[in-house]
Amino acid sequence: MARIGVFVCWCGSNIAETVDSPAVAAYARTLPSVVVARDYRYTCSEPGQRMITDAIREYGLTGVLVASCSPRMHEATFRKTAATVGLNPYMLEMANIREHCSWVHTDREKATAKAKDLVRLMVEKLRRNRPLAPIVVPVTQRVMVVGAGIAGIQVALDVAAAGYEVVLVERKPSIGGHMAQLDETFPTLDCSQCILTPRMVDIMQSDKIKLYTYAEVESVDGYIGNFNVKVRKKARSVDVDKCTGCGDCFNNCMSRNKISVPERVSVAESMDQEMKNTLDVILEPATGEHGMLISVLQDIQKKYNYLPPDALRYTSERLNVPLSRTYGLARFYNSFSLTPRGKNLVRVCMGTACHVKGAGLILQALERLLDVKAGETTEDGDFTLEPVRCLGCCGLAPVMTINDDLYGAVTQAKLPKILERYRKQAPAAVTPGGTDQTAPSDVMAGETVDA
Amino acid sequence: MAEQTSPPTAHHVGRAQLLVCAGTGCVSGRSLKVREALLEEIDKRGLKDEVKIVATGCQGFCAQGPIMIFQPDGIFYQKLKPEDVPLLVEEHLIKGRPVEKFMYVPSAGEPPIPKLSDIDFFNKQRLIVLRNRGLIDPEKIDEYIGREGYQALAKVLASMTPEEVIDEMTRSGLRGRGGAGFPTGVKWGFTRKAPGDDKCIICNADEGDPGAFMDRSIIESDPFSVLEGMAIGAYAIGASHGYVYIREEYPLAMERLHIAIDQAREYGLLGEDIFGCGLNFDISVFRGAGAFVCGEETSLISSLEGRMPEPRVRPPFPAQSGVWNMPTNINNVETWANVPVIMRRGAEWFSSIGTDTSKGTKVFSVVGNVNNTGLVEVPMGTTLREIVFGIGGGIPNGRKFKAVQTGGPSGGCIPASLLDLTIDYERLGEVGSIMGSGGLIVMDERTCMVDVARYFLEFLVDESCGKCTPCREGVAQMHGILERICAGQGRDDDIEMLIELAEYVKDSSLCALGGTAPNPVLSTLKYFRDEYTAHIADGKCPAGVCKALIQYSISADACKGCTKCARVCPVGAITGAKKQPHTLDRSKCIKCGACYESCSFDAVLVE
Repeated sequence: MARIGVFVCWCGSNIAETVDSPAVAAYARTLPSVVVARDYRYTCSEPGQRMITDAIREYGLTGVLVASCSPRMHEATFRKTAATVGLNPYMLEMANIREHCSWVHTDREKATAKAKDLVRLMVEKLRRNRPLAPIVVPVTQRVMVVGAGIAGIQVALDVAAAGYEVVLVERKPSIGGHMAQLDETFPTLDCSQCILTPRMVDIMQSDKIKLYTYAEVESVDGYIGNFNVKVRKKARSVDVDKCTGCGDCFNNCMSRNKISVPERVSVAESMDQEMKNTLDVILEPATGEHGMLISVLQDIQKKYNYLPPDALRYTSERLNVPLSRTYGLARFYNSFSLTPRGKNLVRVCMGTACHVKGAGLILQALERLLDVKAGETTEDGDFTLEPVRCLGCCGLAPVMTINDDLYGAVTQAKLPKILERYRKQAPAAVTPGGTDQTAPSDVMAGETVDA
Repeated sequence: MAEQTSPPTAHHVGRAQLLVCAGTGCVSGRSLKVREALLEEIDKRGLKDEVKIVATGCQGFCAQGPIMIFQPDGIFYQKLKPEDVPLLVEEHLIKGRPVEKFMYVPSAGEPPIPKLSDIDFFNKQRLIVLRNRGLIDPEKIDEYIGREGYQALAKVLASMTPEEVIDEMTRSGLRGRGGAGFPTGVKWGFTRKAPGDDKCIICNADEGDPGAFMDRSIIESDPFSVLEGMAIGAYAIGASHGYVYIREEYPLAMERLHIAIDQAREYGLLGEDIFGCGLNFDISVFRGAGAFVCGEETSLISSLEGRMPEPRVRPPFPAQSGVWNMPTNINNVETWANVPVIMRRGAEWFSSIGTDTSKGTKVFSVVGNVNNTGLVEVPMGTTLREIVFGIGGGIPNGRKFKAVQTGGPSGGCIPASLLDLTIDYERLGEVGSIMGSGGLIVMDERTCMVDVARYFLEFLVDESCGKCTPCREGVAQMHGILERICAGQGRDDDIEMLIELAEYVKDSSLCALGGTAPNPVLSTLKYFRDEYTAHIADGKCPAGVCKALIQYSISADACKGCTKCARVCPVGAITGAKKQPHTLDRSKCIKCGACYESCSFDAVLVE
């Protein structure tokens, strides 16, 4: 039968300010197997530790729970203390009511309830604990890291820096992984090569790291401290120890496919050739120029009403800009759309003046009338509904535009009639190129359409 | 287009000139059709040689559009339709009787005011930046030149050194009109002094503040003033190239800008050896792609270079290293448009207008719940009361004034108790708002201030570039709390949490977008805390805006049974016979507000 003692710490005011430590101790007394529970100002102090040893002797405790700080802080302290009076050190557990409770909460009542829960959990664990005895097992002090991407590289370097031997295995002929293919990294947009390449060099220069590239792990057997791993080195005609990675062999090879360097497949072949021709015209003036990317994307958007994925890939290739950057721009700027838009683009101004005049309700009414959410296109492809930041026509608030037509002082009652005009419109009147989207002039915007 | 660029008939004065507004607002109200009808009618009556019809830029009085000014009488006509034209021509032009039914009426029951110069909206303004609005055809450089255009550039090139120009600018006291209010002359001086063979100037026309449209209007009505200002700046700074970074949402402004640049090039006012004085300067137009953060200088530069519009750490300042690492000077449209006048009339004249610290005038877009919405230009130091009630004509529908919001998402709300505040950079800062680009949104008792704060934060969450954590995460957290409050699930400690988060975001964001992002929350909390508590503690939205906290009903006393509301209700929640009081079934009501909006008798109640 377990006999457990619980010691709830105040940690000065660290715990006691937010957690009612005496109440937690009182609660602990009600738990099964708990024969004694006390609270104390500083349990880790010398008198505090003596309180524990005294209690172990006095009550013949088989388990001790200290509810205080993180085990990282004082678990070793208390286990040693318990051992001095003959308690198996593994029969001492800690409940973290400081870092996990008092420090992160402000509501005293709720924090105290949580501390009680934590104590109850650990008491239940203690009731199931068995005394343990440490054993010594011989361990091969060598670490294998599988995969030499940036994570594998960093682990290998850290372990080597700690003084252990490392075996680093990489499936590809070169280390670096995905990061070698990136331009910038989230969220700071630091240059990815600037992070990666120094570490790649460090791997080569470390005498603690044995690197196997173009090699694959076939099997892993054994257990912690005694693994057996089978690595298959793939055949190649290059003496890796002498290779400097100059690339001359690759450039001079008569049959390139024998040397495995992953080559990028150009989208130019697989994409719609008509699109390619159109894009060539748009991209021609921008090739080799700085800073034309946004204008080019605007032109593509104008042509297709949105930015097709292949167009983004092809643009990146032709302008020699990483796809990540092209895609980033397309995502960030409000005027770009990555999904096809409908024949008619309905934009509702969400500017401040329009907002105070009920633009939100107008947008919701349009959502109902068109049966789409803001940003979506109707099933028949007739309309795309988009909220827009500000159309700069604040004097006419609330304002909306359909294609190039502007409607001021819009009311919910006017909406059905306005939409009707565009429903009737023959699809041909609106070219997907979006160059000439004028509505029939006899139904120009702003006309009074009182219901 | 060919017709519009045909030689102007400036030599021919004729009997009358009809100035038809062709700004975005009036065009949307079919002002171009009105103009066509006028041309047709005048041709029909054989008056073609006697009457000149001019398509002008934005007149600023957008709510009354389409607008026409009948010269030389100075009669102001509003809300014209093409079908009104025959009557107008017959009465006014032929018989000489101005037509009352198209005139401005200050408020119902009062007599109409025929002359533009007698209308409060116009006569209380002082036009410096907007000096040419409504007076010239913005697509004809000759008309700009005829209004003393390019005299300033000629004077500068012929008689002043770049240092003298910068000194003049500094002494004029002009401060950046984009929002921050940095002294323009000092800024020019930095860029001039920065080492570098080539320098660059930029006109920031990425008018991102929702509720502000003066930059669009200036470019639409007087693009040459911006071009001339930039040419003067280029000379003073030593720049050979300029960019205008303009929003894509402004197609008409963009078109006029292109026309203006082409004409200026044709006249040798852009390009090589301008005025034969050795100044080489040309301008390109860059279309923005829609990102609020581009209003921030360093973001705009990144965007111009074809990258994500993320702010850069300063220093180096753009004056040292801007576009393509060139020393770069960025000013906003309104700032540039001020430059030619200052150079022509001198620093002393300019600095005699305004307050001690803020000189000259400021253009405001007075919009929202105010009678005379539009663009107004007033001297710095004008009171809010004068703008809202004097020029703006007060609040419509007899409602109570509640607040004005200035400065866009970086600004704040100013309550009724501060109506006598004189507006300049310092005073606005003191009350927790900013000048910003000059959006001035009037809010009445039906505007919920918690909802306004939520609205701005929603905007900012979307527009934050995400580079720095406080702005990306902090503003999103604040927005979440406001969403919760508006949904009626506010918690007791939400206000404290908002204030705490606001301080963190303010102190630790990288650029001004994040640094000012909490302003809408802090200023509404400062002046309208009771509305927050009403939402949280009482579960009520006093202004009747937040859907989760309101209920609609129909007053049986006020309802006349006109059936309008029943017809607009999308869910059939309103029933009732003709001429009988209607009833609203709350179990069906989706609170869309359509009935409220349509009722002419104030019979739909919100509580």
